[in-house]
Amino acid sequence: MKTPDNPIRQKRLVGLWAFVIMSLGAVVMVYPYAYMVGASLKTRKEFATDKRSLIPPRFQIGERLKHMRGEDSALAWEGADWPVLKNYVDGIVYGQVDVFLLNSLIYAGVVTVIQLTVNALAAYAFARMTFRGQGVLFSLLLATMMLPAAVLLVPQFLVVNALGLVDSFWGVVLPGFAGAFGVFLLRQFFMNIPGELEHAARLDGCGSLRIFWHIILPLSKPALITLGLFTFMAGWNSFIWPLVVLSDQAYYPLTVGLSLFREESGADWPRIFAASVMGSLPLIAMFLLAQRYLIGGISLSGMKAQ
Amino acid sequence: MATRAGRHRNQPIAYLYIAPAFVIVMVFSFVSMGLSFYVSLHDWDPLRGRGEYVGLANYARAVAEPSSVFWLSLRNTTTYVVMAVIGVLCTSLPLAMLCRRSRYGQALFRTLYFLPSITPMVVIALVWIWLLQQWGGLLDRPETALLAIAIVGVWQASGYNMLLFLAGLSDIPQDFYDAARVDGANRLQEFWHITIPLLRNTLVFVTVMVIIGAFQVFTQAYIMTRGGPERSTEVVAFQVFKNAFSYAGQMGYASAMAWLLFAVLFVFIMIQMRVFRSRRIYDE
Repeated sequence: MKTPDNPIRQKRLVGLWAFVIMSLGAVVMVYPYAYMVGASLKTRKEFATDKRSLIPPRFQIGERLKHMRGEDSALAWEGADWPVLKNYVDGIVYGQVDVFLLNSLIYAGVVTVIQLTVNALAAYAFARMTFRGQGVLFSLLLATMMLPAAVLLVPQFLVVNALGLVDSFWGVVLPGFAGAFGVFLLRQFFMNIPGELEHAARLDGCGSLRIFWHIILPLSKPALITLGLFTFMAGWNSFIWPLVVLSDQAYYPLTVGLSLFREESGADWPRIFAASVMGSLPLIAMFLLAQRYLIGGISLSGMKAQ
Repeated sequence: MATRAGRHRNQPIAYLYIAPAFVIVMVFSFVSMGLSFYVSLHDWDPLRGRGEYVGLANYARAVAEPSSVFWLSLRNTTTYVVMAVIGVLCTSLPLAMLCRRSRYGQALFRTLYFLPSITPMVVIALVWIWLLQQWGGLLDRPETALLAIAIVGVWQASGYNMLLFLAGLSDIPQDFYDAARVDGANRLQEFWHITIPLLRNTLVFVTVMVIIGAFQVFTQAYIMTRGGPERSTEVVAFQVFKNAFSYAGQMGYASAMAWLLFAVLFVFIMIQMRVFRSRRIYDE
């Protein structure tokens, strides 16, 4: 142990070591992303011969030098002079990645908008109104949270099947139109809004729907944004549910589209990675823009993103 | 008259407000479970619908039949859960403690470690197929394949759980540590006698959530290994999936298995509900 009589120095040293270890951990966290991007910029032959390197041959100085000296190098292979983003373009042109991305956007967007509306209405009633059976109904709602998704997969499919919605847009989104957790979270938030505003509005003759719309919702923006972001992310990342509901490829979201590419014999891995990058970027961008809502939301509630 | 605030009055319009959420949530939870229980008592084909009533035969088939893969898949799943829990706890808590101490870049670390939580699991599984292949083909051997998909699960979950631990750690008053320091406690003693006991709620919460999540592991097995090699990554959720959607006419059997999975998880779910209720976000 270092000089215990100098706690400031020791604290600095610990801080430095912590930084070093955390940096190593960060490399472990980022490496798969770097690998994915690197592989998405390789041609199939380049990926097949060199699965290790992060950097495609055309950006490797060693290969460049060999090529300039006229030696045999990967830059002489077919495709080394193709556009760097060819896999991305091909993914869209031949693999309909654009359709998958649009589908993902529509599913996640529709679920988010409807779930926020439906959940907020219910949360408002539970938080600010009085009615018979309130406690029982709320407990019943909360109790649904104990049913895990893997257990519900087949049961929910049976219901969607009974409703005749298998292999349709509605079949994918309908179960996501409301969620007990969202109701619970918004109710907590609504209950903390002071009642004076509501009383004043009521004296002015406002109905409950107008109070909800003009007073409660505007005051609850942070909670709505947090819940909206989480709902969108869960919708974008969802895989098993659309996988079992859909069979028509035209309806596939990106996650299911990717698993389809993987199943093809002689899968084109660089192109799969290009599609993976395109499928991961929107959420990463969204996360970077709205980080404070997300991290705040997690610390508050232990909310799950996937 | 609407002059008196309606705190003590029955407001029937509230039923209208809760109806959409309530109906959807109930239909896709308890009603679904009820329907699947009914289905589990029958031979059932998703296309042709109800077949013969078979009583508990589907359950018996899963539990007692010698050729049943249920126990194998349950054993695999349990092994995965153990590895995932150990892996997540042994990474996310130390990472959280280090992150707080780090001299630079705490916010940056939080961001980077969180990235896997917002990346589709399908994408993660696809990339890790190749990363794991470079490490001596962990996925190709029956002895290591389950460990390999657990590594992926831990990599994906540790950053998220680190954030939970960070929140828990920041709730521990610094005074405790200062007092311990005065009494001459070393770091290890601080960890065992202050951090762990005061972090108990978060520890239980994280452990239970990881257990419940890990019992449902599916995507890695589906994308990376398809249950192989030699059924070493055959997990319960994958079994349910295959019987329900890949094999014809096994919907009743799959429903029975889903109910069995629920039974296995029930204990943990009860603990989760207790913890969830006791957390401070519940009614103040």
